[in-house]
Amino acid sequence: MNLWNRLMCYCRRRSPWLFHMNSGSCNGCDIELVASLSPRYDAEQLGVRLEGSPRHADILCITGPVTHNSVQAIQTVYGQVCGPKAVVAIGSCPATTNVFIDSRTIDGPLNRHIPVDVFVPGCPPRPDAIVLGIAKAAEILANRAAKKLPVEPVCIPGTECAAGCAAKAAASEVQL
Amino acid sequence: MNILTMLWKNLWGGSRTMLFPARPKVSKGYRGLVRFDPALCTGCAICKFRCTARAIEFRAGKGEFTWSYDPGQCTFCGRCVEGCKTHALSQDSECPPVYLTIGELKNSYTVARKPPAPKPAAAAPPTAAGPTADSATGGAQ
Amino acid sequence: MNLTAALARLLIFPGLLFAVPAAWFFLWVERKAVALMQGRIGPPFMQPFYDFIKLLGKSTPPRSGVAGLLMKVWPLIAVSAAAGAVGLLPVLPSSGGFQGDLILLLALLELPSMCIIAAGFSSRSIFGEIGSAREAVLSVAYNVVFLLAIISIAASQHTFRLEALAQMPVSPVHWLGVLMRCLGVLAILVCLPAKLHINPFSLPNAEQEIYSGPMTEYAGPELAMWELSHGLEWVAATGLAATLVAPVVAILVAPHLIVWWLAALLFVALSFGVVLLLSVVAAATARLAIDTTVRFYWQCTLIFAVLAISSALFMRLRS
Repeated sequence: MNLWNRLMCYCRRRSPWLFHMNSGSCNGCDIELVASLSPRYDAEQLGVRLEGSPRHADILCITGPVTHNSVQAIQTVYGQVCGPKAVVAIGSCPATTNVFIDSRTIDGPLNRHIPVDVFVPGCPPRPDAIVLGIAKAAEILANRAAKKLPVEPVCIPGTECAAGCAAKAAASEVQL
Repeated sequence: MNILTMLWKNLWGGSRTMLFPARPKVSKGYRGLVRFDPALCTGCAICKFRCTARAIEFRAGKGEFTWSYDPGQCTFCGRCVEGCKTHALSQDSECPPVYLTIGELKNSYTVARKPPAPKPAAAAPPTAAGPTADSATGGAQ
Repeated sequence: MNLTAALARLLIFPGLLFAVPAAWFFLWVERKAVALMQGRIGPPFMQPFYDFIKLLGKSTPPRSGVAGLLMKVWPLIAVSAAAGAVGLLPVLPSSGGFQGDLILLLALLELPSMCIIAAGFSSRSIFGEIGSAREAVLSVAYNVVFLLAIISIAASQHTFRLEALAQMPVSPVHWLGVLMRCLGVLAILVCLPAKLHINPFSLPNAEQEIYSGPMTEYAGPELAMWELSHGLEWVAATGLAATLVAPVVAILVAPHLIVWWLAALLFVALSFGVVLLLSVVAAATARLAIDTTVRFYWQCTLIFAVLAISSALFMRLRS
């Protein structure tokens, strides 16, 4: 079924549906993400749709340094995103916790909890950079699903993520 | 009725969208990536002290120092640029690129220390104290 | 209609084979028109097709028990009902129908909404329950006006057959009947945004165009089926409006020149026009709350529907 796989890869690149989650951000990156759907930058020309439910989405966009209160929520939502998925960390907070380094309430960069595919740096990143990051994530998603990359995103070696990742993802598959 | 005239004008006025992957020009004062000029740096490490996000790392060695900057950690506030006395740091309006692994964008520079500039008009008596003071400050850095 | 003709109408024309591309086309037209009116570019032409194929390739969360089985069944019922509704549309004149197929069309058009309500409750998530409750209230609100308008049109024509409603008696032109028809179609057009869940009555969709209230727990191929049923609902509802408007347009333009392919073209053009009109309404308005919606349908619009049906009955009693 090579034709079906190629068609699926083609369609996955052209239809990235987002779910946006805020893990303690100052809202600057959230505003720029919503601005990327405004007429000037129009992410919808790539087929992007902002969805209301994580079960509908392919790409999880996360902003904010990960606070203690939001770790459980992020892992649950990551488990709820179905099928081939990708994660985009928007802003420099999820990548490196930026100015909140050494804070007592921050629980480290995002890839300690879930595997991240694309980092969009900036404080806040420009909306066109966010659209570029989403397009890159859609491409990674399509390639991964076409079996060119491992099925689940590769965990960063040497972090807690690699050890507990599979267990946490399975445990947070909340059923009915 | 106002909204209908607005919709009509939008329909016939053309869209304002930038076609992907075109990116708009940034304005002149936009605070983007920090640029480092090794020729002008004296290794005072004020930028590391002033950096709010610890994006600048400074490691002192004998006769040389390593200065590194991670745009992924940077918050683009510009304090380092303001604090640099020799204007070795400048901020241009380029946005940092999208990356896939942490630490991918970090740049390190190893700069050899320059010998201190000779003090002018130091010919007379305090010459005995002068060189020792200089060597003391040079060694402590 | 015999069995083969009925199957051909259900599966080929204007059934699934033509209705599914038409559904994708209408979904794209709505998104593109709303985007252009907002000053954006909007999605490329094949976007609903890409969304559908992509959704087919996603995994679904494992579900257990009767509720899980029911969740798989509701989208299939919705798609079959909507496809059946499209299959009943008289796109070509004299394509065969039966007495009362208007009532069957209305029932089949109502089934997807019922399936959404049931799906929201069987998903056992709080968002699903709230969305389904809102959808149920919305359905009760607009259906009163919708059904009264349909009944007034059918009563003034003395028939419940879609084909007969698609052709008005040409000569002599019964101007009162034309007026009745126009009023009824206006009432139906006011109810269509609620039926299709677009602004200003997009209440059951908790956030965006696709249902996210009752649909919160759906993913993958089931979601693809819901999207498809939404598109088929668009085709069926706009087709119904086009069927009822077509004779008025034909009378005004040139009643004697209508051949079969021109009638089909008129039907398609009128459907397209209704889609554009609904897109303008969707772009121009914001979402109304449930009490405002119910007040709108039961206070403002009901009076016109009551007028329509009373004048239809009056005409019928006179003749």
